Amino acid sequence: MLQKTSPEIGGMGHPVKRKEDLRFIQGKGNYVDDVHLPGMVYGQMVRSPYGHARIKSIRTDEATKLPGVLAVITGQDLEKAGLSWMPTLFHDKQMVLATGKVLFQSQEVAFVVAEDRYTAADAAELVEVEYEVLPVLVNPHRALDPDSPILREDRDEKTNHIFHWEVGDKQATEKAFQTAPVKTKLDAVFPRCHPAPLETCGCVADYNPATGRLTVWETSQAPHAHRTLFAIVAGLPENNIRIISPDIGGGFGNKVPIYPGYVCAVVASLTLKRPVKWIETRSENLQSTGFARDYHMTAEIAADREGKVTALRVKTLADHGAFNAAAQPSKFPAGLFSICTGSYDFSAAFCEVDGVYTNKAPGGIAYRCSFRVTEAAYLIERAMDALAYELKMDAAELRLKNFVPPGKFPYRSPLGWTYDSGNYEAAMKLALERVGYEALRKEQEEKRKRGELMGIGISSFTEIVGAGPAHSFDIAGLKMFDSCEIRVHPTGKAMARMGTKAQGQGHETTFAQIVAQELGIPFADVTVEEGDTDTAPYGLGTYASRSTPVAGAATAMASRKIRDKAKKIAAHLLEVGEEDLEWEPGKFYVKGAPSKAKTIQEIAFAAYTNLPPGMEAGLEAVHYYDPPNLTFPFGTYICVVDIDKGTGEVKVRRFVAVDDCGNIINPMIVEGQIHGGLTEGLAIAFMQEISYDESGNVQGGTFMDYLVPTAVETPTWETDKTCTPSPHHPIGAKGVGESPNVGSPAAFVNAVVDALSHLGVRHIDMPVAPWKVWKILKDKGAVE
Amino acid sequence: MGMKIEKAFQVKEPVDTVWKFLSDPRKVAACVPGAEITEALDSHTYKGSIKVQVGPSVTDYKGELRIERLDDQTHEIELVGKGQDVRGKGSASMKMSGKIRALPDGRSEVIGVSEVNVVGILAQLGARVINEVSNKVFEEFTANFQRQLQQEHAARLKPSGLGAAPQVAAAMPQPGQGTPVGPKPIKAIPLVFSALWAGIIGFFRRFFR
Amino acid sequence: MVNKHLIRVRVNGVDRQAEVEPRLLLVHFIREALGLTGTHIGCDTTNCGACTVLLDGRAVKSCTVLAVQANGREILTIEGVAQDGKLHPLQEGFKEEHGLQCGFCTPGMILASYALLKRNPHPSEQEIRWGISGNLCRCTGYQNIVKAVQYAANKMA
Repeated sequence: MLQKTSPEIGGMGHPVKRKEDLRFIQGKGNYVDDVHLPGMVYGQMVRSPYGHARIKSIRTDEATKLPGVLAVITGQDLEKAGLSWMPTLFHDKQMVLATGKVLFQSQEVAFVVAEDRYTAADAAELVEVEYEVLPVLVNPHRALDPDSPILREDRDEKTNHIFHWEVGDKQATEKAFQTAPVKTKLDAVFPRCHPAPLETCGCVADYNPATGRLTVWETSQAPHAHRTLFAIVAGLPENNIRIISPDIGGGFGNKVPIYPGYVCAVVASLTLKRPVKWIETRSENLQSTGFARDYHMTAEIAADREGKVTALRVKTLADHGAFNAAAQPSKFPAGLFSICTGSYDFSAAFCEVDGVYTNKAPGGIAYRCSFRVTEAAYLIERAMDALAYELKMDAAELRLKNFVPPGKFPYRSPLGWTYDSGNYEAAMKLALERVGYEALRKEQEEKRKRGELMGIGISSFTEIVGAGPAHSFDIAGLKMFDSCEIRVHPTGKAMARMGTKAQGQGHETTFAQIVAQELGIPFADVTVEEGDTDTAPYGLGTYASRSTPVAGAATAMASRKIRDKAKKIAAHLLEVGEEDLEWEPGKFYVKGAPSKAKTIQEIAFAAYTNLPPGMEAGLEAVHYYDPPNLTFPFGTYICVVDIDKGTGEVKVRRFVAVDDCGNIINPMIVEGQIHGGLTEGLAIAFMQEISYDESGNVQGGTFMDYLVPTAVETPTWETDKTCTPSPHHPIGAKGVGESPNVGSPAAFVNAVVDALSHLGVRHIDMPVAPWKVWKILKDKGAVE
Repeated sequence: MGMKIEKAFQVKEPVDTVWKFLSDPRKVAACVPGAEITEALDSHTYKGSIKVQVGPSVTDYKGELRIERLDDQTHEIELVGKGQDVRGKGSASMKMSGKIRALPDGRSEVIGVSEVNVVGILAQLGARVINEVSNKVFEEFTANFQRQLQQEHAARLKPSGLGAAPQVAAAMPQPGQGTPVGPKPIKAIPLVFSALWAGIIGFFRRFFR
Repeated sequence: MVNKHLIRVRVNGVDRQAEVEPRLLLVHFIREALGLTGTHIGCDTTNCGACTVLLDGRAVKSCTVLAVQANGREILTIEGVAQDGKLHPLQEGFKEEHGLQCGFCTPGMILASYALLKRNPHPSEQEIRWGISGNLCRCTGYQNIVKAVQYAANKMA
C-alpha cells in the first residue's frame, strides 16, 4: 500500500515540475551535435540512388584529393577489418557500407571524413560510383513470386522469405469458424511510417590513443547494449569502451538500433586517432534509419448472432526492407503482435505472420508501440468495428458485450499472454460519459438526414509493455532486466542511476519521485543520472514503455533495500528493536511514541558516523529487476470527426482519451505523454507514409512530404483516467508512454469509416488523406 | 518516379522543313539545353549526355538515344533515351513521340509527348521540381528550335551571306567524328527558383480557374 | 582558395565578428563559430523551425539564412532570452506548464513565441497555434506549449 507523501517530498501522484527543464529552456541542453572536442573532424555518408544495383566500381581519388579530406572509407576497406557487415538486433546482418550490391535507395556506400562538414559534403559529391541497375522489388506481396529478384545473395537460402511465425490453436480456431453463424473479414494495411524524432541520429566517436579508450557520444536509447555489441563486433575490450547518451531529442524507438554511421565514425576515429562526428540529415534519417510498421494484415472474427465473439484468425505479411533490423526480443519475430485479441474474451485464436525482404530501408523497429502492439491494436479495433457494421450493432455496445470482465484477471489470452489486471468496462463507460456519446449519436442521425457527415470512432485497446521476464525475453541474447543504483550521502541527499535512458520522458523527475516515495527524501534532493555506461548499472534502455515497469521497479526495490538497512540504523540510534519501529515516508518512529523518531537524513548521517557495531558503512543499494510478467495498460479513446464534403478534409472535433496505467508517478508528465502520443497517432492516421515508387525511389523522404502536424492541425486533447494497479509491480505502475500511439490510429480511422458507413464504406486504409475521402464521396454519389 | 509531359508549340515553317529538322536527332539535341550527342553508333543510335546542375550538385547523365520509329509520311518520330549519372547519383530515361501537324496558314504545330522516369537523388525532390524543371527545359528547347529553324531559313535565302546554316551543320558531329565544344549545361539554381516560383504561382492559379 | 568575408554581427547584445565562407549557413555560424549550441537543427528542408532565431527582431529559420546576410545586423538566440540571470516569462511558462519533454524544439519555440508576443501581446489560442505553426514538436502535442505562451502573455500583460 502506497503511503501518501507531502508535496515537498513529492512522491507518487504529485504533479511536480520537471527538474530537467532548467537547462532546456535556456538552450543549455547537451545533445550529441553540441559535443565539440579539440581536433574533431566530420564524417558524411555517400548513399545509393538506386533501390537495387550491383556496384561495379567506386572511385575515391577525386574526393581524397580535395584539401581538408582525411579519409574516404568504402565497404572494401571495412571488409579487410571484417566490419563491412554487422549483426542486426534480430538474427540477421546488414551491410555497414555496401559491398557487391546495394539493396535500397539511400543505402550507405562510402564514408568521407574531412576537417569540416562543408568540405565533407563537397567530398561526398566527388565520390564516383558505377552501378549496374537491377530490377527492383517494392511490393511485399510479390516478394515470394518466382519471377521476383532474390535480394539477399549473402543468405544460404535464396529466398526473400525471412520467417514464418504462428501462435495459437489452429484447429480450435478452424472449428469455431466452421460453426459460427456470423463471420467478418477485414484487410487492413498499417503503412510504413517513421518515428522522426526532432533530433536526428548521430555520434561523436573519440578514440584516445594515449589511454586506449574509445568514448562514443551517441543518440542511443540503449547505451549498455550498444557498448556490449561494439565490444563483441569490433573486438574492442568492453572496459575500454564508454558510451555516453547525453540529452536525446526524442527517440520513439528510432534510436535503438546500431546504425552504419556509428560504426563508420568509430572506425574512422580508430584509424585517424581523432574524434569523428557524424550527424545525419533529416533526409538520411527518414530514408535509411529504422522505419516502423509496414504490416499487411487480415483479421477474421467469428461470432454468434447476439454479437458474442468466439474466435479470431489473423494473417499478416511483414515488410522488413532489405535487412531484418527489427529491434525486438529475439524469440518474437513479430514482436508482441499476438496481443491482437485485444480487450476481448475470445475462446480460440490463431495468428500467423510471414516476414519478407524488399528493396526498402531495413528495420521494423518498435515505434512507440512496445513491439508491434500498435499494429495489433489497430487490427482488432478496426475488425471489431467491421463486426459491428456486419451485425448492425452499436460499436460501444459490441465492445461492452465482449470485454474480458474484471473478475477474470489475471486473464490468460488464447494466444498465450497473462494480462495482469484490467477493467475495460470502467474506462469505456467513463469515456462514453465524457464525450456525451448518446447525444452525439442522436446528432449524427439528424446530420445524416441533412446529408452532413459526422463520425464517432472508438478504440478500446489493451497494450502489453515492460519487456520482459528473463524466461522469454532477450535482445541479441541480453536479458531484459533493468537496474537502479542508489547512494545516499551523509547530508541526506541522494544520487540514483539507472540502466534506462530517457529521451524526453522526464526520468530525472519521475525516478526521483519513486525514491522520494520509498525513502521520503524530497525529490529535489535526489539526482537522477542515466546514459553513461561507465557509471550507470547495466540495463536494456528505454523503449517499449519499459522504464517504469522495469527500472521503476528496480528503483523501488533498491530503495527498499536501503530502507531495510536504514531501519537497523534507526533501531540502533533509538535504542529499540527493529520490531518496535514504524515507517512513514521520511522517518522511522517508535510504535506508540511517535515523537521518538529518526529522519532519513539523520539516519544517512549516522551511516557514515555512528553505525551499529559490525555494520558496513554507507547507505546504498543496487537492484537488477527481472519482471515476473509484462504489464497491460489499457484505455478507451473516442474520436469525433466532421468531414467537409467539398474537400474530403477530416476535422477532429473532439478526442477523449481515458487511460489506465495503474498507479501514476507524475500526472502532469503522464498527461504530456498522452498528448504527444495522440498527436503521433493523428499524423499516422491522416498524413504520413513512407512509400516507394516502382523504380525504388522513396517518397516521403523529407519533411516536405513526410508531414508532421503543427499546432494548427493538432486538436485539443481531452484526457482522463481510471486506475487499475498492476498486482505484480512493486509500485503498481504499468507504464504509459506508448498507449496513445497504440490506441489512437484505430479511433481516428473508426471515426472516419463511421462517418461514411451509411454510404456502404467498410474500411479506408491510412493515411486517410482528403483526396481518398473525396474520391469515396464521389464514387458513392454523395457529392456532385 | 514517372511523369508524362505533353507539349505543343507552333513554328513559322511549313511541315516538310520542320520535319527535316525534327528527324535529325543531332539537330534536335543541339536545341536541348545542356545536351549533346557525342557519337553516332549507327543511323538510329547515338551516344550522348545531358548535364543538370541543382545548386552545388551536378548530375551528368551519359547514355544512349535511339530512334525507334521515323515515319516520313505521317511526320512522326519516336525516341527512347536513357542515361546514368557518371558519379552514380541516379538515372533517367525518356520515351518521346513527336509529331508535326500542318496548320491552315502554312505554319506547323509540333506536338511532343514524353514519358520521363527518374531514379535517384533528383526523384526525391519529387514531381514538383522535376515537372517544373522539365517545363523550363522545354521552354528553352522550343526557343532554340525556333531560332535554329529561323537561322536555317535565313541561310537558305542568303547562301553566300552569314552562313548560319553551314555553321550549324559544321557543329553537328558526323558518325565517327569527335565531340565539338560542349554545350552550356542547364543551370538549375535559377531554374529551380523560377521552377518553384512557377509552381507556387501555378498552385494559386488553380483557385482562380 | 575560397573567398572569405568578414562579417560583424551583434549576438545577444554582444558584438561578434568572423571570417566566413559565403555559403556558411547562419545556424552553423551560431552553433560552431560562436559556440551557441542552444539553436538546433532538425531538418534539411526548412520545415521544422528548431533553428529559429530573431534577426533584427524578426523570427527567421537560421538554416535558410546565410551568415553573410546577417552582416551588420542583430541576432537574438535562446541564450540571450533570459535577462540579468532572470528567466523570461516564456521560459518560466514552458517550465510551469510542462511545455517541453525532450527539449529539442524548445529554443525555436521560445523564439517564435517571443516574436509572436511582440507583435500580438494578447493572442487567442488560435492565434498562438498559427503563430507557432512554423515550429514542429514531436513530444508534446502542442497543448501545453499553447498554455506556456498564454502563461507568458498573462505575466507580461
